[in-house]
Amino acid sequence: MKLDCYQRTFAHSSSSLTPIQLPAHLETHLWYVKPSEVKNESLLKQYLDILSPRERENVMQMRGEELRKSALLARTLVRTTIARYQINSQINPRSLKFRKNIHGKPEVDWQFSNDSLPPPLHFNISHTSSLVACGVTVDSQIGIDVEEKHRSIKHTVLSFARRYFSKHEIQFLASITDPQVQKLEFIKLWTLKEAYVKALGKGFSGAPFKTFTIRFKEDSIHQASEIVVDSFDEPTELTSNWQFSLLELANSHYAAICTEKHAASAEGKRNVPTKLTVWKTIPFVVDECVSGTDAVKTIYG
Amino acid sequence: IYAPAPNSHSLYLDKFVFTNCQNTYIHSFTHSSYSPPHSLHKFADPFSSLLNNNKKIKMASFAASPVSFSAVSCTVKPNQVSNLRRASLSFSGKSSPSRRIPALRFRVACSAKPETVCKVVDIVRKQLALPDDRDVSGESTFATLGADSLDTVEIVMGLEEEFGISVEEESAQSITTVQDAADLIEKLLEKK
Repeated sequence: MKLDCYQRTFAHSSSSLTPIQLPAHLETHLWYVKPSEVKNESLLKQYLDILSPRERENVMQMRGEELRKSALLARTLVRTTIARYQINSQINPRSLKFRKNIHGKPEVDWQFSNDSLPPPLHFNISHTSSLVACGVTVDSQIGIDVEEKHRSIKHTVLSFARRYFSKHEIQFLASITDPQVQKLEFIKLWTLKEAYVKALGKGFSGAPFKTFTIRFKEDSIHQASEIVVDSFDEPTELTSNWQFSLLELANSHYAAICTEKHAASAEGKRNVPTKLTVWKTIPFVVDECVSGTDAVKTIYG
Repeated sequence: IYAPAPNSHSLYLDKFVFTNCQNTYIHSFTHSSYSPPHSLHKFADPFSSLLNNNKKIKMASFAASPVSFSAVSCTVKPNQVSNLRRASLSFSGKSSPSRRIPALRFRVACSAKPETVCKVVDIVRKQLALPDDRDVSGESTFATLGADSLDTVEIVMGLEEEFGISVEEESAQSITTVQDAADLIEKLLEKK
């Protein structure tokens, strides 16, 4: 049984994952779990069991039960999500292997023979203690970041921005008079910047936050139509390779998704929007497609 | 580390030093005589649970009777079980069957001051709003304490403000533990 959207699907058995087709060329899949909805101890043990020994060790090293749970769910979400796509009939989440690229970005270490090309699946995860998300694309680098909308910060928005953000972004935030709105815009900007850096895969120092600006491009009727990135270091041809989506998830979190545009659409043509499909899941238990519902509100993209 | 002179007995003294942010304690004990260095490793086990519990260990002065030594006043790196810092001490003197004559000299490897580590711990505790009973020490990693990327940059900001330094992105990325942060701070303070 294939998983389509507009469905709430319960797993066949306690250890099965409903299979799904890979996202299409211009499509992004986003899967998320809310740790507060996963309480069953034996289910959590089942999750622990699909992790590698190393991952288990990392989970157990987290200091505090809540942190251990979200760390466990993060690895579980990655493994079960990728396993759903049944690449080369590989359906066991436990058998997946991972490695890091040269800059430390995690990727799948496909266990195929040398002469077969690795599948073009890309993923990226982000987690807060209250939400864990995994984005999947085909043929395109991806970076995602989720943050609680009302997350507290210890410094003021502007002192934080002055330290880390670009001049244009500081001006943008400084021009917002309502402090609550300013804080929300700050969080949105943070997630977008994080998603970009994670998509680039070069690590925090590979694209220092001050060296690029994320801004909302306005269309002819002064509505924000597009999120773009300008970089001091990279020429425009390269920065126009990236596109962004910004969502509000479950009324509680902002999620930013940054993906590579494909060669065909990057030649200065009108921006072809990517299709985004979002599922809320409890792996091995239930999957719920939430695109088009109140759980997913598109802010931009 | 000093090579024993001829006609001397070498006493290898293991010194386990650790600090919590209230006090620095030195727990030392002597190991009787002539075993080669590698056998000293067996001391790690009986104390591993102590070290793990991060409890305060009283200053213990063990001495083969006439041996006395003064407390280490130099700052030393906090320890963890898997990464014990040992100061090997040896002393030489006239030997007699039942007495060892002291002439202690020793060197201890130093790193960031405990006060620096403590300040970092304070900043981390505040940033992450940790409960009082959550142990934080030099070898705690930010990740395991639950710091995400936003927390980490705020911690870096906090450290810059507290110490009046400026941290490059590259350096910030390489900090994974409290100790790393303290060491970097001291390095930057030296350059000022």
